[in-house]
Amino acid sequence: MTRSFLFTLLLIAAVAATAVAGTIEGKVSPGKSVVYVDTIQGKTFPAPSQLPVMDQKGLMFSPHVMVIQVGTTVEFLNSDTVQHNVFWPSISGNKKLTHNLGTWPKGEKKAFKFDNPGVVSLLCNVHPEMAGYIIVSPTPYFAETDASGNYKIENVPDGKYNVVAWHEGMKPQTKPVDVAGTGKADFTLSK
Amino acid sequence: MRGKPFRTGKRSLPLLALVLLVFSAHRSLAIPAFSRMYGTSCSTCHIDFPKLNDFGKAFKDAGFKFPKDDESMIKIPPVMLGAPANAELWPKAIWPGTIPGIPPIGLRMNNYFQYTGTSSGKFASLTPAGTLPPFVPTTDFETGLFSIFTAGNFGSDIAFWVDDDISVAGANSNGGLGDGYLKFVNIGRLLKLPKNSLNLRVGQFELELPFTQARSIWISPYDIYSQANIGAMNSMIPLQQFVNNQFTMADAGKGIELSGGLHTGGYQYSIAFIDQNTSGVGQDANPGSPYVPQATGSNNGGLGVASDANFKDIYAQFQYRFNLERNKESRTAIQAAGPSGPRDHTYLNLGTYYFYGRSVQRLLSQAADGTQTVITAREPFYRVGGNMTFNYRCCLQFNALYMYGHDMNLLPIDASGNLIPLQNLSTAVPVGFIRSTPATFSGGFVDAEWLAYPWMYVMIRYDAVNSTSDRINGLQRNDDGSGFTGAPFNGPFRSTRNRVTPGVQFLIHANIKASFEYQFRPSQSVVIATNPLTGLPVALNPFHTNTAVAGLEFVY
Repeated sequence: MTRSFLFTLLLIAAVAATAVAGTIEGKVSPGKSVVYVDTIQGKTFPAPSQLPVMDQKGLMFSPHVMVIQVGTTVEFLNSDTVQHNVFWPSISGNKKLTHNLGTWPKGEKKAFKFDNPGVVSLLCNVHPEMAGYIIVSPTPYFAETDASGNYKIENVPDGKYNVVAWHEGMKPQTKPVDVAGTGKADFTLSK
Repeated sequence: MRGKPFRTGKRSLPLLALVLLVFSAHRSLAIPAFSRMYGTSCSTCHIDFPKLNDFGKAFKDAGFKFPKDDESMIKIPPVMLGAPANAELWPKAIWPGTIPGIPPIGLRMNNYFQYTGTSSGKFASLTPAGTLPPFVPTTDFETGLFSIFTAGNFGSDIAFWVDDDISVAGANSNGGLGDGYLKFVNIGRLLKLPKNSLNLRVGQFELELPFTQARSIWISPYDIYSQANIGAMNSMIPLQQFVNNQFTMADAGKGIELSGGLHTGGYQYSIAFIDQNTSGVGQDANPGSPYVPQATGSNNGGLGVASDANFKDIYAQFQYRFNLERNKESRTAIQAAGPSGPRDHTYLNLGTYYFYGRSVQRLLSQAADGTQTVITAREPFYRVGGNMTFNYRCCLQFNALYMYGHDMNLLPIDASGNLIPLQNLSTAVPVGFIRSTPATFSGGFVDAEWLAYPWMYVMIRYDAVNSTSDRINGLQRNDDGSGFTGAPFNGPFRSTRNRVTPGVQFLIHANIKASFEYQFRPSQSVVIATNPLTGLPVALNPFHTNTAVAGLEFVY
């Protein structure tokens, strides 16, 4: 009896888990874009504990584009023998969120927690050609497309969402998506 | 074309000189080829091109390389001219070197617009009767320079630089080579000397001046750098000079240079030995003897002669930069780590420099038996001075330079020991020289440069030059009474000329610059009277011919 009860409970849990672990798939043109689920009203998510690293190496930000969940702390590393600086003039155009991390020598890191969702354009004030991006997603549901533009966001609960696609130098696009096990959204971005 | 000396020749038209001054102002050189090779902006090395920031100075000191980890920074790797292991085979193999992965070529073009004050019309009265006075437009669009320059590193710490003006004033004339040299960086390592203590440069180069003329951001050159000592005789004053020293500090020299230290901190020195050439006759115009070949010549001919004499002029310069950064790590780094990003250090730079040469003039003479001989006037000259810079972080800089110039003045005498008036030199027979009052000048400049925004430089400069030879070359009556000659900058009644030049520059892009200067010119006069009390000439109705210049420059 007890064994049957436990089995039933496990079965219910497995079915429930399958029901919420939906996916959003699609294609973005051009490739190498970022797709994320926009803010879900009334829902918050715990900040992830991992600390992704944005490096400055060979006079370039590496990776060039990084996507994180809001609340994530990013470590900024200088791997060059020349001095660098990291600052951003705004987050998604909001100039009140401008910030300058200053200067630090080779091998050292500076950390910053991103509490505001949006697009962060990273700049270095002594090497103005350097550009990097951190896309701060308001939800943990995001993905980077491959070179062909294909993407898949996993573990998305069923529901209705707004999905945003972003690519450097293009206008971001938002589309509503219904997820019932799966959802699909294709984007063609333009300048 | 390197900045030409400001020559107040007796027959020169003063206003033309004004215009030429703007045209021949300076060459400004930035190296877009480095941008391409390293994939970085001009502003990595330049504050306001061609002016270098601290990183740019370190890049230059290192032989046009990143001071550290150059290999990891370069985006277009160099081409190896020999595997590094060939070094182990030397002398049985050529020492391995490299060439840049792409031809490191940069190009530069500039155009100007000039507004000239209406006072320029007053110079028409200087034109001899029967000839049309030159027309000076109030506004004028003027084509500047189209230049090519290339620089880089051949490996083994051997750097190179070549720049050449292909087209000047819209025509392929008056241009020519600016600098062309090889620099053996840190050659002191072969003698186990401390790093950076000894470099060797060979070729044609701008002397390591306290303030570079070649990489000046000003449209107009520093007046003191353009000062030459070319004395003659003025009928209106009882003074004559027999000096024809057309050397100016802005000129490029041909020779070798030993240097050391770093421009970014501590001591820095330069000692150069260059060809003596004060006649103003360049290598291109001096074929020398038709019987003696020069380099590349066979029986005769060749590349021409660059020197006036066997003597090599000597230039020495010493600078010390006091780093005023409080933070120790910032002090020792190439750039200071400011709270909002790297920036130049706050520093005080003090320096001194000295140039010694021996101007040579040769005259035909006669021995006692009537044989024609050549007598030579060797007139040693020197330029000495000091300089100061105070730099506050990224944005504010004060500069000052003083120079004193001194030329021995040997006047020709005849067989009776009497002075030969210079206007009679072509008919008289000189047999020797006597020492007379030297030709001297002094002056300098002070300037303030404020980087108001990363794209906007606001500047003001004051130039002053006081010259005895300018005084002699000043306005004078022609012997035949037909009018006046000379440059009315000073006249026989004034030997100092002052200039105040406010300016502003805008970087439209990191490689496109719009520059504006207003040049408050020295007082001038074309009316001379005689003071009835002193009997000395005096200038009447002084005026200023001010000019406003706008420049548009791009490099790529």
